[in-house]
Amino acid sequence: MKDPFHNLKSSMKKTVFKNLLFSDERKNAVKEAIRERQSKQQLHSWKEETLVAVLESLQHEAKHGYDLSILLIQKNELSFQNKEGLLYTLLHSMEMKGIVTSTWIYEKKYYSLAAKGKKYLTASKEVSSKQRFSLKHLLEEAST
Amino acid sequence: MHELEQWPVADEIIADREQIIDQLMNEYSDRILHLAFTYVRNRATAEDLTQEIFIKCYEKLAQFNQQASIKTWLYRIASNHCKDYLKSWHYRKVTLNEKILDYIPSKSKHVEEEIIAKSEKHSLSNAVMGLPIKYREIVFLHYYEELTLVEISKITTVNINTIKTRLKRAKELLKNKMIEEV
Repeated sequence: MKDPFHNLKSSMKKTVFKNLLFSDERKNAVKEAIRERQSKQQLHSWKEETLVAVLESLQHEAKHGYDLSILLIQKNELSFQNKEGLLYTLLHSMEMKGIVTSTWIYEKKYYSLAAKGKKYLTASKEVSSKQRFSLKHLLEEAST
Repeated sequence: MHELEQWPVADEIIADREQIIDQLMNEYSDRILHLAFTYVRNRATAEDLTQEIFIKCYEKLAQFNQQASIKTWLYRIASNHCKDYLKSWHYRKVTLNEKILDYIPSKSKHVEEEIIAKSEKHSLSNAVMGLPIKYREIVFLHYYEELTLVEISKITTVNINTIKTRLKRAKELLKNKMIEEV
């Protein structure tokens, strides 16, 4: 028996998908949006409270992105609300800088604090609010 | 200036990610657009969704597990994104109301137009586009994208036996449809 779908591909190309192409304007719009997000790659573009909240959330156990995003909202840290993608961008930058590490468990990526991250978190807690040393400043020394 | 402010390594990674998305767009954007159209059946919406899908990929790229194929990963993000759209408040409330208006027969419709519409109904692709989503997506992925059942299973998270059943059922539905209209 003939498969009714055997010439579906050519039929669809000629009918429903005819002239349906992703235009250069659309591609450029994607590129522009990506460039905009890149400015958020730098740690110092984030608020210090946000950075501390992320580090704190990871201090006791490894978490994957989704759990972390829920926890941050519960902590009233709303920088990532409806912009969960930015959380992954931040985690990625932190990973690149050796502040957090990650492991894959059942197709999910779990993040935990690396030694450097623990150090900063401790430092940020120890410093009194009065003479508060900028955590960002400490983080920025991460590379030295 | 702090050393962290000019991260040569990070910059390289950023440029890399941009390049990867560029390559993915060149290679797959038309196909992803067709996939999106298969779900939403509206050109402008499919274009918007495709744009969002590539931005989402950029954001999720750090999470991409190297063990998986990037194509499967991209299709999975695309498929989920389109399904989320169909479940969204905007689609259900706004778009469906507009659709209902489409179903109200208009007397002003040209005779010629009606004849074209009728002959289009007989075409195989339009029949496929009229299938319920769970069949439509699998028919598209298998017969248009020519993906294997294993790949389709990874993209849709539907198990292989269910995919087989759906393909079979889709054929039956289609046959009935074609007979009905002749």
